[in-house]
Amino acid sequence: MSLRKLLWAFLAAGLVTTELSAQDSTKPVGKKITNPLGKDKAAIDAGRSQFNSGCAVCHGPTGQGGRGSRLAEVDRVRQMDDAKMFEIIKGGVSGTQMPPSSLTDEQIWQLVCFVRSLNAGAIDQDVPGDASIGDSLFFGSAKCSQCHMIRGRGGLTGPDLSDIGVTRSLDKLRRSLEDPDATIEPGFQPVSATTLDGRRVSGVAKNNSNYSIQIQDSQGKFHSLLKRDLKELVYHKNSLMPKVALSADDLQNLLAFLSRQSMETPEERAKRLEHGKEVEP
Amino acid sequence: MKKILCLIFLLVQAADAQVAFQDLLKPPAESWLSYSGDLTAQRHSLLKQINTTNVGSLVPQWVYHVKDSKRLQLTPLVVNGIMYISHTNEVYALEASTGRQLWHYRYTQAKRHDGNRGVAVLGDRVFFVSSDARLLALHAKTGALLWNREYGGHEQNSQVHATLAPLAINGKVLVGVSGGDCGIRGFVDAYDAETGKQLWRFYTAPGPGEPGFETWGSHPVEISGGGTWMTGTYDAGQNLVFWTVGNPGPDFYGESRPGDNLYSDSVVALDAETGKLKWHYQFTPHDTHDWDAQEFPVLIDTVFQGKPRKLLAQANRNGFFYVLDRTNGKVLLAKPFVKKMNWAREVLPNGRPDVIPGMDPTPAGKVACPGIKGASNWFSPSYNPETGLFYVITIEQCDVYTTSARPYKKGECYDGTGAEAIPAEPGQFFLRAIDIQTGNMRWEIPMVVKDTMEPWPGTVSTAGGLVFFGDNEGYLSAADARTGKVLWHFNTGQVISASPMTYSVNGKQYVALASGTDIFSFGLFEPMRPAPVTLKERYETRETKGEGP
Repeated sequence: MSLRKLLWAFLAAGLVTTELSAQDSTKPVGKKITNPLGKDKAAIDAGRSQFNSGCAVCHGPTGQGGRGSRLAEVDRVRQMDDAKMFEIIKGGVSGTQMPPSSLTDEQIWQLVCFVRSLNAGAIDQDVPGDASIGDSLFFGSAKCSQCHMIRGRGGLTGPDLSDIGVTRSLDKLRRSLEDPDATIEPGFQPVSATTLDGRRVSGVAKNNSNYSIQIQDSQGKFHSLLKRDLKELVYHKNSLMPKVALSADDLQNLLAFLSRQSMETPEERAKRLEHGKEVEP
Repeated sequence: MKKILCLIFLLVQAADAQVAFQDLLKPPAESWLSYSGDLTAQRHSLLKQINTTNVGSLVPQWVYHVKDSKRLQLTPLVVNGIMYISHTNEVYALEASTGRQLWHYRYTQAKRHDGNRGVAVLGDRVFFVSSDARLLALHAKTGALLWNREYGGHEQNSQVHATLAPLAINGKVLVGVSGGDCGIRGFVDAYDAETGKQLWRFYTAPGPGEPGFETWGSHPVEISGGGTWMTGTYDAGQNLVFWTVGNPGPDFYGESRPGDNLYSDSVVALDAETGKLKWHYQFTPHDTHDWDAQEFPVLIDTVFQGKPRKLLAQANRNGFFYVLDRTNGKVLLAKPFVKKMNWAREVLPNGRPDVIPGMDPTPAGKVACPGIKGASNWFSPSYNPETGLFYVITIEQCDVYTTSARPYKKGECYDGTGAEAIPAEPGQFFLRAIDIQTGNMRWEIPMVVKDTMEPWPGTVSTAGGLVFFGDNEGYLSAADARTGKVLWHFNTGQVISASPMTYSVNGKQYVALASGTDIFSFGLFEPMRPAPVTLKERYETRETKGEGP
């Protein structure tokens, strides 16, 4: 019997069900179930096919969300363990429009592979370039650290980038540098508010509701404003971030540096190098 | 020139620091900067906008639902209008006047998912523990992780975990561990707040060659229990940390650990710089009833027995209310604060309890009082310096305690059996006000008789002459601090397992409480004002970049 068939025999024997039911949220978690297909490219392709035929109608063909929730490049999905993702696809989500699946366990694991690929971070890719030059650029001449912070060093106006290699794909990182206006991260929408007594508050909107807005200025100070106390609120369509003016080599060096940013220790990462092939240190 | 630049940098850093160490020592008013408001754990706020004359007009201002939570146990912190709350492996920053979220951090790699009781703040950092006993430092303005340090040894012993709010003092963050019922060796750790570097460790069970090691017989020190699962208090004048220690293990079977079992069920006074023990007081020597000493060690400076003293007051799980001299650990007063108590007659002049023989658990079961949950527990008491009264949620209950000699097995709990309620004699919650000068009860508020196991409600005292308290029915109530007359109540609709606090933003006082899955914040009623003009909102594209809108 091949290794894969042996594995499916185990799954069929209820191993998955047993382990899943044992994951009481108040108790320590034992050995986790992980995706037996890992990052297998054929499995990702098969998963994409499954996704397009049954999931894309709600979640969108590239997982950006629609009638269903967003699945691509989103922390909630990235941080979900394999067993939980399998459980959701198989059993659906009660009280929502997410139905149970009639797919085989192997097909479901293929879907897990595909959804994982939608959330792969740049750190999992071999990004060329000199990261040490990128480091110097970030904290030096490129002035990135005037607005962005990494491990406590830098400014507060832009998103913290300490974990950016894990949370952003390489493509998205490159797009952010080449076209900063393409996507403005939630919590970083530039705004200017004018109060009834003429005071002007500018910064990024950390939160915005129908009755109040919370603005963080360039010094990191929070401004709590009720909309009934405002006369004007201007949302700026473009990001505060300027387009990066670097040579092609330095852009690559900066990408190499950013793609390696992770708050995990090397030992912790070693455990997670291959989803589905967890290696104990 | 370089020196001048460094100086300027330091000045900028200092000016930017959110919370200075000195701020943590002040009685709470607008801000609430540590689990108990300040480092004395008096939990008494100077705010008095809400007072005995107007508390009847208190209404909810906002509710924040904490996603995926079940039984929130935290006390919120508020720093200059920003509220920090925690939940299992997560921290949120909220706008304290509206409950709107500013940022959220989640530690996704945690190996356990236990409750969490809150965060600590110092400088521009927020500190909290993960369930698998890691200490994490976040940037207070962004929620970004700055460092994440394993400290508890969860990889070596899966029963080690953490739920407490850390204690931040001068440049240091102190933490403890949970798991004392399950074969751990408790300790208190101190870490450098800037770098996360370990500064010292104090083990709650002495090792070979250390004083107190002989109080355990031949019982292995590695599985002695003595958890350190609640936040300590701090006396800046003596530079001493006071940390309470949990029960010895196995909880209900004492024959395998003959002796007092130091420093279980004690308060230890530790030098904040070195972690060295200055003194200790053991409330329950050789405990066999799981009476952890985790009730708050409240620090009070007042005239006591005719002279100014530095006191430490505690309403212990074993049923005695204690007043100690916190310069040396000597007992100045010890008096029962529950009627249902049958394990000791009194505390003797030498500080030891006069134990009634034959009250240890037996294989067939022995009725003893207080019950397993204790006469009080970790939920917060409070102390009002103006009334001299100590307000504490109290439980009158006896339980049946049963014992057996089960050997330790790694990864499993090490409790030596347990205790259960007596169906025909349900326990009862009270809010009691104890005069610290005499130990006498000045007044009490009885609560409806029901099963006592679910709720864990605490108190907060205010200069408005009020004591706010959670009850066993999901109500947050306010009583007159002098008379115990209930002046206001609100049904949160959920089981309360946390203690209230109070803060102020832009001159308006709020009272907040975590109840069930939500944070509730209350303030005095004000009619809603309509907007005087219609707000113009528009989108526009700017030409300039990088310098802000």
